[in-house]
Amino acid sequence: MSANEKKNPLLYFLRESWLLMAAAIVFGSLLSSLNAAWQPKIAQNEIDKFNTLAGGLLGSAESFETVPKAVPVDIGKGKTYSVEVKKGTDADGNPVGWAFVCEGAGFADKIKLVVATDIAFETVAGFGVLSSFETPGFGDKINIKDGFYQSQFNGTPVTKLELTKIGDPEKVDDQIVSITGATVTSEAVVSIFNTFLLPIKEALQEQNLLQ
Amino acid sequence: MSDNKISLGKTFFGGIWDNNPVLRLLLGMCPMLAVTAAVKPALTMGVSVIFVLLFSNIVVSSLRHQLKPHVRILMFTLTIATAVTIADLYLKAFMPEMSASLGPFIPLIIVNCIIIGRAEACASKNGLVVSIIDALGMGAGFTITLCVLAAIREVLATGMIFEQPIPAFTDFYVPWAGMGMPVGAFITLGLMLGAVNLITKKTQA
Repeated sequence: MSANEKKNPLLYFLRESWLLMAAAIVFGSLLSSLNAAWQPKIAQNEIDKFNTLAGGLLGSAESFETVPKAVPVDIGKGKTYSVEVKKGTDADGNPVGWAFVCEGAGFADKIKLVVATDIAFETVAGFGVLSSFETPGFGDKINIKDGFYQSQFNGTPVTKLELTKIGDPEKVDDQIVSITGATVTSEAVVSIFNTFLLPIKEALQEQNLLQ
Repeated sequence: MSDNKISLGKTFFGGIWDNNPVLRLLLGMCPMLAVTAAVKPALTMGVSVIFVLLFSNIVVSSLRHQLKPHVRILMFTLTIATAVTIADLYLKAFMPEMSASLGPFIPLIIVNCIIIGRAEACASKNGLVVSIIDALGMGAGFTITLCVLAAIREVLATGMIFEQPIPAFTDFYVPWAGMGMPVGAFITLGLMLGAVNLITKKTQA
């Protein structure tokens, strides 16, 4: 440390750390520029993925309109998850159903789903998987579109669902037959439905949005 | 000039075989086990690591005379984190499906020992050309190993390669689900390490 730096420690600090500060400014600017350039594309990708999944579940839905008030859902341990519920409309502008994104803990990581219901919020139209990292060959069977597990949710009443190990997966009721060897994943999906479905229905009823 | 050429060649091919980051140095084991269920994600991870290695080695090598010992590691981390964030943003914007399937493993390149190891062992001590060649060699060694492991696992787990059926093989092959799970990665990697040790022993004998 030179005599000048002893008098003014700021000089010493700058001499020792100027490179780090300059690098932080340059890298920070680079990242903010790239983020500004690519963020619209990233946001559009997420919208496209939601529309593809929800559109596939609701059949004739052409566009989705977000309900103005987000629904806070209690997900346990004092935490809430804010859900943006979207109303699907067909080409003529007629409402055809509701869709929303919800999530819960799976076997390996969080499972993120798109769930769709009819316009009266009485029956489930189905679900699609936005992201999951469940065990290949077992838990990841929840991803199979029109597979036996996903199909069980088509037409299920909006009520508390129950997971069973034995049953008829083709029967449309509140009983969901689990995937062999993937009970935790099967349970996680049912738990997500039970956590989100009824609170969202109640919130939509409170907002007078259900016909 | 000739010595320089040999040295650059040795640096490059050293990363692929003699100093292969996975099979010899046993670095980067986390992605090696996590993203090798299929070749496509393995290849994407490999290319991402090459980009991060190149970016990090170029920056560190260019600034090596200015680097003070006590800010060295901070500087490496800042550089690597920047490159990884660029790779992550790029995948999210232009390869969203792949980004979703790789999950947290692209951001986790930040803690991949290969990157900081090469910054410390090579880029902070050598010129730009050697550092670039080192990054390419090490990155190629990592990517090739990742893809070989992924190819073995994908073929045995699904009977397919690059998600495409293999003519005259997929028809009769009964998929071995275990190869798609972590146990398959451990067993295959163990066998690959054993094979490399055996080859090395035989060539040295």
